[in-house]
Amino acid sequence: MVHKMPSGTDELIADLADAIGAGRVTAGGAAREIYGRDSSIIEGGHSGPVCFPESTRQIAECVRVAVAHGRDFVPRGAGTGLSGGAVPCNDPVVISTTRMNRILEVDVERRIAWVEPGVINLDLSRHLAGTGLHFAPDPSSQQACTIGGNLANNSGGPHCLAYGVTSEHVAAIEVVLSDASTVLLGAEVGDAVGYDLRGAFVGGEGTLGIAARIAVRLTPDPPVVRTLLLDFQSLVDAAETVTGIIAAGIVPAALEMMDRNTVEAVENFVEAGYPRDAEAVLIVELDGLEEGVTHEIKIVKRVGNENGVGTVRVAADDVERELIWKGRRNAFGAIAHIKPGYYLHDTVVPRTRLAEVVAKVNEAVERHDLIVANVFHAGDGNLHPLMAFDPREPGVMERVYAASEEIVRIAIEAGGVLSGEHGIGLEKRGFMPLLYSPDDLSAQRALRDAFDPVGHANPLKMFPTGSSCGDVMHLAEVPEGVWV
Amino acid sequence: MSDLEEFRNEVGTTGSVCVKGGGTRWDVGGEVGQGVRVVSAPSGIDAYDPAEMTVLVGAGTTLTALAEVLAEHRQEVALAGPVGSTVGGALAVGWNSIRRQRVGFARDALLQAECVGADGKRFKAGGPTVKNASGYELCRLLVGSLGTLALMGRVILRTTPIPEWSLWLRGSVTPADVVKSCYRPASILWDGSYSHVCLEGYEADVQREASALIDSGMVKVQGPPSLPPHRNRLTGDLPEGAILDVAIGVAHCPEAAAIQCVDPAVKCIADRMKANFDPHRRLNPNRDPYSVPA
Amino acid sequence: MSPRGRIVLMRAAQTGGVDCDDEWYDAMETCMQCRGCEAACPAGVPFGELISGTRSAMSAVRRAPVHLRVGLWALTQHRLLLFGSRILAVLQRLRVIPRVGFLPRRLPLVGSRLSYRADGDVILFTGCVMDVWQPEVHDACQYVIEVTGSTVARSGPTAGCCGALHEHAGLHGTARRLAKQVVQALKGNEPVLVDSAGCGAALKAYGDLLGTPEARTFSDRVRDVHEWLEERMESLPSLPDGDRPGVIVQDPCHLRHVQGAHMSLRKVLSQYVDVVELNDDGLCCGAGGSYSLLQPELATAARDRKVDLITKASGLSGAELVVSANPGCSMHLAAVGLDVLHPMQVLAEVLEAGIDPEGVRDGQ
Repeated sequence: MVHKMPSGTDELIADLADAIGAGRVTAGGAAREIYGRDSSIIEGGHSGPVCFPESTRQIAECVRVAVAHGRDFVPRGAGTGLSGGAVPCNDPVVISTTRMNRILEVDVERRIAWVEPGVINLDLSRHLAGTGLHFAPDPSSQQACTIGGNLANNSGGPHCLAYGVTSEHVAAIEVVLSDASTVLLGAEVGDAVGYDLRGAFVGGEGTLGIAARIAVRLTPDPPVVRTLLLDFQSLVDAAETVTGIIAAGIVPAALEMMDRNTVEAVENFVEAGYPRDAEAVLIVELDGLEEGVTHEIKIVKRVGNENGVGTVRVAADDVERELIWKGRRNAFGAIAHIKPGYYLHDTVVPRTRLAEVVAKVNEAVERHDLIVANVFHAGDGNLHPLMAFDPREPGVMERVYAASEEIVRIAIEAGGVLSGEHGIGLEKRGFMPLLYSPDDLSAQRALRDAFDPVGHANPLKMFPTGSSCGDVMHLAEVPEGVWV
Repeated sequence: MSDLEEFRNEVGTTGSVCVKGGGTRWDVGGEVGQGVRVVSAPSGIDAYDPAEMTVLVGAGTTLTALAEVLAEHRQEVALAGPVGSTVGGALAVGWNSIRRQRVGFARDALLQAECVGADGKRFKAGGPTVKNASGYELCRLLVGSLGTLALMGRVILRTTPIPEWSLWLRGSVTPADVVKSCYRPASILWDGSYSHVCLEGYEADVQREASALIDSGMVKVQGPPSLPPHRNRLTGDLPEGAILDVAIGVAHCPEAAAIQCVDPAVKCIADRMKANFDPHRRLNPNRDPYSVPA
Repeated sequence: MSPRGRIVLMRAAQTGGVDCDDEWYDAMETCMQCRGCEAACPAGVPFGELISGTRSAMSAVRRAPVHLRVGLWALTQHRLLLFGSRILAVLQRLRVIPRVGFLPRRLPLVGSRLSYRADGDVILFTGCVMDVWQPEVHDACQYVIEVTGSTVARSGPTAGCCGALHEHAGLHGTARRLAKQVVQALKGNEPVLVDSAGCGAALKAYGDLLGTPEARTFSDRVRDVHEWLEERMESLPSLPDGDRPGVIVQDPCHLRHVQGAHMSLRKVLSQYVDVVELNDDGLCCGAGGSYSLLQPELATAARDRKVDLITKASGLSGAELVVSANPGCSMHLAAVGLDVLHPMQVLAEVLEAGIDPEGVRDGQ
């Protein structure tokens, strides 16, 4: 069915075109089809006109026109989000930042880069090649996702274990608010005066405004990097090793775990040399200065041995190291080798309870007759249980939703939280009361309303609300033959 | 749980109230006025699992008391303050440690805060895990807010491992040259003529980097220089007698700098924030996070 | 526009969820078909098949622009191509025609200067436009193959054009016809070596395109010249240590993403030169078959980006030579004044200088 735009849309489109140029606005069926979704399994979003501003002023114009027409606006980067944060509800103006992809300034000495929000994560680090610096947040989608999107979701990635999530790497942000005004939050240098509005804005999922220019902090490249691959015959042993490494006072650059199903799927694609007969594989990356790294390798090996590790492989060179990481980064997609569809969860639990939680999650998913694969940031307890299924199978989605709810409850009961890095979006807004009391949520509401008192910035995201989002459910139908 | 409930009752639902920790930075952002009820946050360490690298602690606990317990497991937190400062005070002021490059920003140390709001109700910001993207970043908003949005009763902090080896050096090598020969110094301070550098990590690595600096004329010293009391953002030249924290861009100065005008657009959000959290302005009245030198 | 977005639109068109308006067509036509997404896709989505099926269906509804159709037709007419090109070459030298973006700045007046035979240990596939516009690449290639001790036959005008550009443009029928012609002309068992990444990818896909056992057998014989050389490294002479030139490698999409032969290229080259990487995961230069003619704006943007990367790599490494194993890419980049050689040209040069420092290779 072709969705019809609400009345007044023609005038809206005309005003947007007047404001930022007709070549930067599109409202055809194709655009609305594409911009009606992100990389989550949430279906049923409906975008209004889609804008491609090329400057802060043009972003502000888009916002001004949208709000003047009583419409909401939804900021969007590359659309790689997994929680439906960029899925438009009620035909809003979608503001895509993809044409704002310039790296404006790199200050090597002060280790700051000013970028536009549409700069692709990996492009920044590539641009920095030769300076000895890089941008630390490295979500698995870093080839495609934008820095604006990273900021909106406070994204993580394997290396945020040692280097911290996006917020720690954002010094200042130029923000367009829902009244179309522009404000600079944070500061390049010094302790910013007053409330940390920069910190409050990061992770706001586009509900607080739109980042138009971002000053990111750059991290020096470590002189020595070693990547280890450990395999185990039991998931519990692998989890105990994780706990043991942290307890030994080591914070590795990254500490990732993959279970048997994941390894099986990934090996089909990359042939990274992960041992296929292992129940669990750990990737441990150690970096820093020579002596420290050598010392830490010894400790990791010792802790592994104490927990029945099979083999410990240290990547011999950059090519082998890159292959190991390529496997890890592509783990989700590779699940298609098991089943055509998947639904990925993102929860965090205390890292000392990993083994117990993973066992419970696996039991719950399998009880619903679904295949489960686990690939996750073990070092900080950030689980990514993934249910593989064939969406064409009748009734499968009901089982997926039921299992999802159990996964979330298991995590919360273990003292965990709803999301570690993918955010709440539409996907988990219904679960917020599991973690937060009404008073907790009121405090969050107070923060949101301070930024967007009129409520036009990406509404209906993050909070449980009675209002519907068109025909979007908190977890809606999966399209037939879904590949994502 | 009981002491938190007691704290909530003390804060109550009406009348001006301020929470006092060690009182070591009581004048930052202005002193609270007369006739304001003073309450204290609970103190004591409620839970600490070194393998989790988090600690649940009453906001009234002194940094020294916390550090002692953490040090038994060779861990520490990113908070900094003079002797007598409390966890809650350090968070409310939000100053970063001079070893920020090693321990991180103060605002990133706060994982969860159990607070009492202006309406006298308890609420929780953040969550107990080391990574969390569930909802808004209230914790970061609270750090440095001088208790004007809510009063922290009990918090969960992220801990970091204490390095095996640590040493301070002093010499006329410029900070830019220090950065060139060291990977990630924990601290670089610059007094206009000399650099004061803190190297931390494994002993062999620290010694190797230190010997390079010693070769260029630096000498080992006991610790950091004593810092002048006022923290100003560096604009222009370094004033006489000031010491610059290079990584943060903060100058520790003998005199307080003039308070800068705040961008009205920023103030507008800040005012709405205050109004939404504390409409009757009863929390720490007269203290203003924007009334600090910049 | 992402591959995911295009798949969403393909599916929506199939289910009637979207009108196939100009915007929809635009979404499909702006795909460079570099197939970088396929190489990156852990799920193994056959995007190449999806887009070429879609383009084929589109071409049944909307005809390609007339200049493209004439151009693609000309590729199938080897004599005409040769004749026309020579005339253009003369006109270029007389400076009576302006510079045209896609044309080499200096078309060759003569063809191959090497003698070649009707049968050999291997067949070098010479194709259409490359044979006419870049005969020196085939010559260099033949020289290197001969250094290994093998004899070379050439596919010549009877085999003609591989049909890659036609398939690319959705002209499925023509592509099949040309494929049959190639298979028919090159019967035998000897390996078919290709020095154009686009042609090589097309030839390797004949099995699927035609679906016949002969076509499959043929496709199995096809090797990119670098793949073939990689297996015969021991037949290549080791040269005395000397200056190793730095060479920036620009990977053609059809070499890297489709054939996966880019590592062979590196292995062969790095025996004699220092390979300099662009570190862009084989991003498309914008040539994209006839893409640069149909979507000049996007193609130019892609090229600008590539040129920036090359300039940066050159600055960091000091390397001045740029190689690309596909005539489309080198012509596209040459149009902005970048001198791009085929890897075989560099190799031939190095080998020749090493084997016979005094001599000059025939015809160079």
